[in-house]
Amino acid sequence: MQITPEVAQILVQGLKYLGAGLAMVGTLGAGLGIGILGNGAVQGIARNPDTAGAIQINMILAIAFAEAVAIYALVVALVILFVG
Amino acid sequence: MSTPRRRIGFYRWIVLALIILGIYITGAFPPIQPHVQLPAEAISEPLFTLPVIGEFRMTNTLLATLIADVLLILMAFGVYRATRDPKNIPGGISGLVSTIVEALYGLVETTAGKWARRIFPFMATIFLLVLTANLMELIPGVDSIGWLHHVEEGGHGYPVRYVGSLGLLEKAAEESHAEAGYSLIPFLRVASTDLNFTIALALIAVVMTQVMGVRAIGPSYFGKFIAFGNFLKMWVRERLGPFDVIFPFIDIFVGLLEMVAEFAKILSFSFRLLGNIFAGSVLLFVMGTLVPMIQSGFLFLELFVGFIQALVFSMLTMVFMTMAMQSHGNHEGEHA
Repeated sequence: MQITPEVAQILVQGLKYLGAGLAMVGTLGAGLGIGILGNGAVQGIARNPDTAGAIQINMILAIAFAEAVAIYALVVALVILFVG
Repeated sequence: MSTPRRRIGFYRWIVLALIILGIYITGAFPPIQPHVQLPAEAISEPLFTLPVIGEFRMTNTLLATLIADVLLILMAFGVYRATRDPKNIPGGISGLVSTIVEALYGLVETTAGKWARRIFPFMATIFLLVLTANLMELIPGVDSIGWLHHVEEGGHGYPVRYVGSLGLLEKAAEESHAEAGYSLIPFLRVASTDLNFTIALALIAVVMTQVMGVRAIGPSYFGKFIAFGNFLKMWVRERLGPFDVIFPFIDIFVGLLEMVAEFAKILSFSFRLLGNIFAGSVLLFVMGTLVPMIQSGFLFLELFVGFIQALVFSMLTMVFMTMAMQSHGNHEGEHA
């Protein structure tokens, strides 16, 4: 089959969609990490309800770090889709 | 009930009327999906030309940043005027800003302790600026009112229906191609979706962390990165145990890792904020196209995400500044 410029453009566009979808597989790790964090925080609050405020603040901080990795994956996917 | 009040539940009828009006309008004028791109779009002709960088155009995110700055200055002025008055308790917006500032100062005091007065201005300014910039996403008109421009070959274009001198982009019944195609450049776009804004904030946060560290500890703060102290001591001591030879090399390596971690912090700060808010605005666009009636539910999500991201940015800045200001005195104490 001859690869004309129109076919090449359609091919590239389709591969872009595929690449963006594959890039989002990285959010698996972030979901797991945030779940483990929530587990530890809730158990800590269950053992010691007086420190709930401090535990909550530290949990939010740690969740921000874990979610940042998922956001990197999202930015890669968006760059693949919308840039160039 | 002596005072005459409106019937209980008056406002819910207004909300119901607005919902029905919204459904009718989205049926009559179906929304299109705007053209999403990561770099900010220019909305004016080149204003002036700088010698090295090139020509300077006003972009829509720069306009949104300026509006956020003006809003912050007005709020600060309002709170200042309200607190100068000794008789009245500040109410309304001044009271809200006072409450937020008090809550933030309590947060900084529990984490930073004695350095709270120095860290608090940076942390609170970053929080309020990012919060104001993120909340501008929810205002109707942002991202949807702008210039119409003709789209060249290969892009998505939509036909225009003119109402007076305003144009409305509308979905065509059949796919229209480039000759009739127009696209929208918004006047205002959320400031945090521009990588320039987030990298600038991240650079300010990380550079001020180093400055705070030097102010607290002195120039020996850089001994965290360039850890040759133990290495030099190794040559001078008479008796060397096995660990006295290994630890200096590990210290040098750890110092290099710390320096790399500072650069990773810049990238992490900027991309966390950019990714969250940009993905949120793309989500709002797509939801506006797919299910225009319940797009408002996603506005709640964006409100929450914007607030959390502002809080996370400022809290991380505060934590890194606190860690930088604590002297790493443990290491010198061990090898006495």
